[in-house]
Amino acid sequence: MSVNPATTRLGDFWTEFRRSPSGVVGLVLLVLFAAVAVLGPALSPYPEAGTSWRSIEYWQDEPANAPPAWTNLFAREKGAVSARLAAADSAAEEGEGYRVERASFAYDFSYDRPPLDLILHFRVDEPAPVSVAIERPDGRRVELVNSTVEPVSGEARISLDKEAGAAVLDFVRGIEPPEALERLDGSSLEPTAILFAEAEPGLTTAPRALKGKYRITLETIVVDGAEPASEPVPPRLAVVGRVSGLLGTDAQKRDLFSGAVAGVRYALLIGFLTALVSVAVGVVYGALSAYAGGLVDAAMQRFFEIMSSMPLLPFMIVLSAIFKPSIVTMIVLMVLFFWTGSVKTVRSMALQIKEETYIEAAKALGAGGPRILFRHIVPILVPYSFASMALAVPGAIVYEATVSLLGLGDASIVTWGQILHDALSGGAVLNGVWWWVVPPGLLIALMGMTFAFLGFAMDKILHPKLRTR
Amino acid sequence: MYQRYAIRRILDGILVYAVIVLALSALFNSVADRTVRALIDEEVRQSMSKMKGVRPEDFQLAFQSRVRERERAYWLDRPVGERIARRTVATLTFDFGKSTIVKSSAGSREVAAIIGEALPRTLLLFTTEAILVVTLGVALGLRMARRPGGPLDRATSLATMIVYGMPSWWVGMILIMLFVYIVPVFPSGGLHTLPPLTGFARLLDVAWHMVLPLATLVLIGFWGTALVVRNIVLGVLQEDFVMAARARGIPERKVLRGHTLRTAAPPVATMAILMLVGSLGGNLVFEGIFSWPGLGNLYWIALQQMDVPLVLGLLSVTTGLYVFALVLLDLAYGFLDPRIKTGGAA
Repeated sequence: MSVNPATTRLGDFWTEFRRSPSGVVGLVLLVLFAAVAVLGPALSPYPEAGTSWRSIEYWQDEPANAPPAWTNLFAREKGAVSARLAAADSAAEEGEGYRVERASFAYDFSYDRPPLDLILHFRVDEPAPVSVAIERPDGRRVELVNSTVEPVSGEARISLDKEAGAAVLDFVRGIEPPEALERLDGSSLEPTAILFAEAEPGLTTAPRALKGKYRITLETIVVDGAEPASEPVPPRLAVVGRVSGLLGTDAQKRDLFSGAVAGVRYALLIGFLTALVSVAVGVVYGALSAYAGGLVDAAMQRFFEIMSSMPLLPFMIVLSAIFKPSIVTMIVLMVLFFWTGSVKTVRSMALQIKEETYIEAAKALGAGGPRILFRHIVPILVPYSFASMALAVPGAIVYEATVSLLGLGDASIVTWGQILHDALSGGAVLNGVWWWVVPPGLLIALMGMTFAFLGFAMDKILHPKLRTR
Repeated sequence: MYQRYAIRRILDGILVYAVIVLALSALFNSVADRTVRALIDEEVRQSMSKMKGVRPEDFQLAFQSRVRERERAYWLDRPVGERIARRTVATLTFDFGKSTIVKSSAGSREVAAIIGEALPRTLLLFTTEAILVVTLGVALGLRMARRPGGPLDRATSLATMIVYGMPSWWVGMILIMLFVYIVPVFPSGGLHTLPPLTGFARLLDVAWHMVLPLATLVLIGFWGTALVVRNIVLGVLQEDFVMAARARGIPERKVLRGHTLRTAAPPVATMAILMLVGSLGGNLVFEGIFSWPGLGNLYWIALQQMDVPLVLGLLSVTTGLYVFALVLLDLAYGFLDPRIKTGGAA
């Protein structure tokens, strides 16, 4: 029975690798990242974040620059959390030639600061009369909207912040004393601030939160005969909170957690592909140069020297600025400069291997150049190249992030660098919007660390001389 | 012998640089042409704006002849190959032409003047950084090498790996947020307060402005340097002469400082110079974060304004410096280690 030497070598490698705690931590982190990359959309509240990152409409129901929801734990005044509610119950009432569709939503308000807005989405095919009312825990009922909505591509959207101003002003008139009403500027009234406050004098100036169960009712009148153009979509209510999601939102109302999750995929893709291709090219180049020797070696070394004499980042950035690359061309650009990284070491290793007797034996047996190169020299360099690959990954991710930070990234995807670019140009650093700045950079650093752990652990096994004296 | 090696290495460096500049000129040929044409158009229009009472067709004729004249001055009437070659020669002789938009603080539009203004500032920041990082790195690296596998060694290795993929500009952003806006102790950026102070106060002011960027760079940089120093020193410690020195009863501190560090000096110096050179062009974004008015910031501005002559000039200068430093490094190395100049393979 013969044992495949490759598997035993791999087995030995694994036994040694297991002994390095940082290597194991790196492996665990890598598995976690890979899981997030695969599960991706399933984990984030906005599954299409990766493709709709720059769509204004997709994010319109979120608050802008809202801190993460868990900051409530540390805040003295808890802010309402963003939520999307489905109708608690719905019913239809048939009339003479028309039908009244009723849906009601239950919202349990248990915070100190009211939501910024309540937004209703529902399906209508033609302009239709709509009314919205809210029932408060104190038993008061407020008619908020009574108008005709114009659907946009079959869907209507009612923002109470924009549409309920007049009704709320009426509501205030019944409570506030006349002298307070005189001082009141109706246009600066925040409808939600009033609706979620105790009905008492002073609710426009110093509202006290009225906690409890609220009920929002939506009524639409649909004319009979008009067949629904598409399948019915259940109405929903978006609560635009003061705080939102796991990582908050940015100035463009985007959920940063969804963006961070979507970025994992692209970071792994960019890192892996760049590292894989550039190290592979570098290894073959170095081995070929060493094996060929003579004039070919000299010429190849000269070319290598020229390529490695170019300062990488300026070239990358200028080329990206002028040629506006997509993610693929960006990877190609990086490979163009990254492959030189491993050539020197590989060449000197290959020069030693070349002199081994078994290479001579292979030659004597009549093996051709390519066979010797790819069957006898390159395989020995493979373990070494794994370590350099792992260590090249963070570089690629950071370079992409740097180019993106300047606003030169691929605009059709979302990467951590692009989020940081938006943060920087959106003044997040100046305004202390830390949830916009810290997580993306931390993720870049964490992924860099993952591959550094893996790379250094492999490197240590391959160069045991460095371990002790 | 050394002279011949030196001359060969210098010529080598010049050749490499020339090839890169040639490639750059070819790559940017069409973009550069377009900028020059726009520049000429604007110039001629401006010079002719005072002409009045001329028939439109005469004006057109005069306009075209002037444009042609200027185009000839910029060799735009010559074939592509010649244009590239001429541009290469001009760059190699440090004639970068005029920028299209960006001006130096003195108001000059000469690319050389604009770059000349920014370069010393970059050198100031990054030379200080290199000195700090190398000093700290050598001190820490030596300590680590004394007890490999010890707690200090392991802690530093861990720190190196943790900061391995951390973008320095992001750390800069965080530090700015912390120490400028939350706890305002340091200025948000720039080289000095406005208007600039004079004398010793100015020196202090610049130092104060340098604290945050330096802290960021050192925080990120010196772990890795320490690890490299440790590896180099460990390699030297395995040599026979160290064992011999120990056997002679020479105190351990002297073995480390006198014998080991001296032998380890060339590679450590290499690393230091490479680091400095790398950061000249490499920390381009970093300067932008701290509004440090050096080369990196200039890149950022030039790219935002799409000032092609300036971008080309910057690229040529950074590459030139890089190649120059690589040559210098080899020369110094050949001087310190005579085995290298024989040119034996690997």
